[in-house]
Amino acid sequence: MNRQFIEDLREIYPGDRLLTRDVELLPYESDALTAFQTKPGAVVLPENADEIIATVRLCHEHSVPFVARGSGTSLSGGSLPIADGLTIALNRLNRIKHIDPQQRIAIVEPGVVNLHISQAAQPYGLYYAPDPSSQSICTIGGNIAFNSGGAHCLKYGMTSNHVLGMKVVLADGSLTEFGGESLDGCGIGPDLIGLFVGSEGLFGIALELTLRLLPLPELYRTVLAAFDDLGRAGDAVSLVVASGLLPGAIEIMDRLAIRAAETVGANYPDAEALLIVELEGEAPQVEAEFAQLRELIQRSGAFEIRTAQSEDERARIWKGRKSAFSAVGRLSPDYIVQDGVVPRSRLGEALLQIDALKRRYGLEVANVFHAGDGNLHPLILFDGREEGALHKAEALAGEILAMCVKLGGSITGEHGVGVEKRDYMPAMFSEAELDVMLALRKAIDPREIANRGKMFPGGEAPALTMQGMHPLERQGVISRE
Amino acid sequence: MISSEKQIRAFVGGHTRLHVRGLGSKPALHQVDAPILDLSALRGIVEYQPGEFTLTVRAGTPLREVIDALGERGQYLPFDPLLPDSASIGGTVASNLSGSRRHRFGGARDFVLGATVVDGTAQSYTVGGKVVKNAAGFDLTKFLVGSLGRYAILTELTFKVFPDVKRFRSLRFTYRVLADALAASYAINRSRFELDALDILPGVAGAAVLARLGGFSETLPARVERFSEFVATTTAPQHVEVIEDELSIWDCVAGLDGACLAKVTLAPRQLPALDAAIHGAKRRYILAGNIAFVACEDAGWLGDVLARQGLRGLLLRGDARSPLLGAPLENVLAARVKATLDPLGKLV
Ligand SMILES: Cc1cc2nc3c(=O)[nH]c(=O)nc-3n(C[C@H](O)[C@H](O)[C@H](O)COP(=O)(O)OP(=O)(O)OC[C@H]3O[C@@H](n4cnc5c(N)ncnc54)[C@H](O)[C@@H]3O)c2cc1C
Repeated sequence: MNRQFIEDLREIYPGDRLLTRDVELLPYESDALTAFQTKPGAVVLPENADEIIATVRLCHEHSVPFVARGSGTSLSGGSLPIADGLTIALNRLNRIKHIDPQQRIAIVEPGVVNLHISQAAQPYGLYYAPDPSSQSICTIGGNIAFNSGGAHCLKYGMTSNHVLGMKVVLADGSLTEFGGESLDGCGIGPDLIGLFVGSEGLFGIALELTLRLLPLPELYRTVLAAFDDLGRAGDAVSLVVASGLLPGAIEIMDRLAIRAAETVGANYPDAEALLIVELEGEAPQVEAEFAQLRELIQRSGAFEIRTAQSEDERARIWKGRKSAFSAVGRLSPDYIVQDGVVPRSRLGEALLQIDALKRRYGLEVANVFHAGDGNLHPLILFDGREEGALHKAEALAGEILAMCVKLGGSITGEHGVGVEKRDYMPAMFSEAELDVMLALRKAIDPREIANRGKMFPGGEAPALTMQGMHPLERQGVISRE
Repeated sequence: MISSEKQIRAFVGGHTRLHVRGLGSKPALHQVDAPILDLSALRGIVEYQPGEFTLTVRAGTPLREVIDALGERGQYLPFDPLLPDSASIGGTVASNLSGSRRHRFGGARDFVLGATVVDGTAQSYTVGGKVVKNAAGFDLTKFLVGSLGRYAILTELTFKVFPDVKRFRSLRFTYRVLADALAASYAINRSRFELDALDILPGVAGAAVLARLGGFSETLPARVERFSEFVATTTAPQHVEVIEDELSIWDCVAGLDGACLAKVTLAPRQLPALDAAIHGAKRRYILAGNIAFVACEDAGWLGDVLARQGLRGLLLRGDARSPLLGAPLENVLAARVKATLDPLGKLV
């Protein structure tokens, strides 16, 4: 790394907030896609927006690539460092600046942990809706970058639907703000929030976010249904969706995922597939919908139906689902998770194809997914100690993504393209579309320093190695959806 | 008449400046001195999959056609497009105009999934996707919501749609002064009651809050009772009325007559000052006081008021040099998108 650049950084940061020694850099070498590692040139720990702005301007001046980093839980290599680049770690910008319960908004710094917002809003009967299962550690800045979702995004949408205003520093150091406190967001003029959310850190760094809060639902009603056939569970989803009900969550787990959940004591029925449907909202309406839902599920051929009538029972139903991924980690030394989307009416077809593919590859795949919006999460199990196993798993993952695109879907629903899926972008977008995105990137970041090497195909590929799960996942602190 | 993408590309290629118009239902948007690219013949539903809850439609399609097609299957566009009997779907998205029912689930940006566009270089491509969830690539689709045709021409749009509710009940609560109505709107908007719409209607004296509940017919009476009791005890209205002919009150720009009509985006805390300044104008606040529709005689006057208060408005009807009223909209990020999609500045 350029000496002068480091010296200029020292003007901004005291020694303990500018990390350059190998041992200090080690924790930043990868994100939750641990198969990729790169050592950054340096890491800085800003404590306020001014420091971030000065840092970005310096990077631009010296043409040094940088990566903004929240908690490093990206599953696509989004926060993977750039060799000889700067990692800007934002965890210290973790202030919730203001909660306005009347206007139902929160103004926060980018390093605030997702769950902390709901916790701060809870005394006012409000919460922040998007709930990635990493929500106890992932940051709102990371959520913004990927337009992250969660099991409960079916009714009220993903991150983008909940951002009202932002302040950002673009990659060349220009400052800008858009949107504000109105629930109408950008309201008049182009929707710049919509453009920035999901840009995977390639435009610049979000410095401050104004978020929409929702009133806590008055009542939840949850159904767990067991099926002796995965296809039938898929059909039940179509039935529920077509009925006009609008559940807060619709999730499916297959046999292997159920088996995994047993290792955390989920106590689920012994089944080929489990369907979880949850209704939320105003009590009298939810009760009426619940009666209709039960009737539908009964007709759908489920052999066992459990319903949660209390918060306790609800927690029990969700427990296995929420920890299914880390539980899969107990069945297999390693796994990778994919995030493709298919049209909801083609879920059954997609699952059959995954089944055929896994047989062809001789690998096990567990399926746990957001069935309500067609967002698959196949977990490909393998043993990283076996020669070539990781590459075989990656190849299978690639075929699954290609299938999603062929069925009219997407290569990613919520985890982003990052490093991992950039070579699949041409499968989804035409050359013209990719050219426009690249031109846009260059117009906003002429030196291509913001998160260089991500999203666009053809970037220099870091080597694949096998490292296993995120350390917090191993400890069961967080789990994947 | 222009009815294909190919013709649009040729039009863009053959002009140095041009302005896009759908059905022209918002005349103030089209007071430009440039050749008009008329999209009124680019119409029709391309693909509607009720089971998938997605719909792809050509930009010039009249809203009424879209709304009726969805209605036949018990579905609707939750962003409640404004001017359903005169606007096109593309124009509605390009100007980001929603009515009162937007309250429940969000605006156009929350329901567009993808689009086909022709940009200022006469290139055509798709942005976004056709599935309800997609995180790949930059979300240019959302960017184009509200962009007034100045960055790219929307030719086809794909939406996520929702099942519609079968029955509604609406209530009017009246308050002595606007401040009380606003306080009531705050209380209702953060309560656990899931309303379909929540408007504030200033009157000659005092102000009313209009609320709409939707759901199963068997549960509605009990919900209405619970809700009115909540409002009565927490906000002490002077008067509560269940409205019989409820559908008619939800056309939020009905009765807002006058030479000019504008939409204003605001935060509810800015509402008292705005309302005091535009006291003489006809006005209605939707989305719990987060959007205003204002009718007046002089757009210049309204623009000045908005500018002083740091607010922005969009003029739909009336004379003005630009339909963008109030605080300036210039933005460095938007300028760079413009330089990418329309480097010659053709689209005005
Ligand atoms: C166990 C587990 C479960 C998960 N479950 C889900 C889930 O249910 N749903 C889901 O969507 N995802 C899930 N994820 C993925 C991940 O948690 C999300 O992508 C999350 O949003 C990342 O947040 P982070 O703070 O860790 O971001 P990081 O990984 O640190 O960064 C992610 C990206 O954001 C960029 N970035 C960070 N801060 C900013 C900023 N201020 N401005 C601009 N760009 C910024 C980075 O450059 C990077 O590209 C899961 C991950 C794990 C490990």
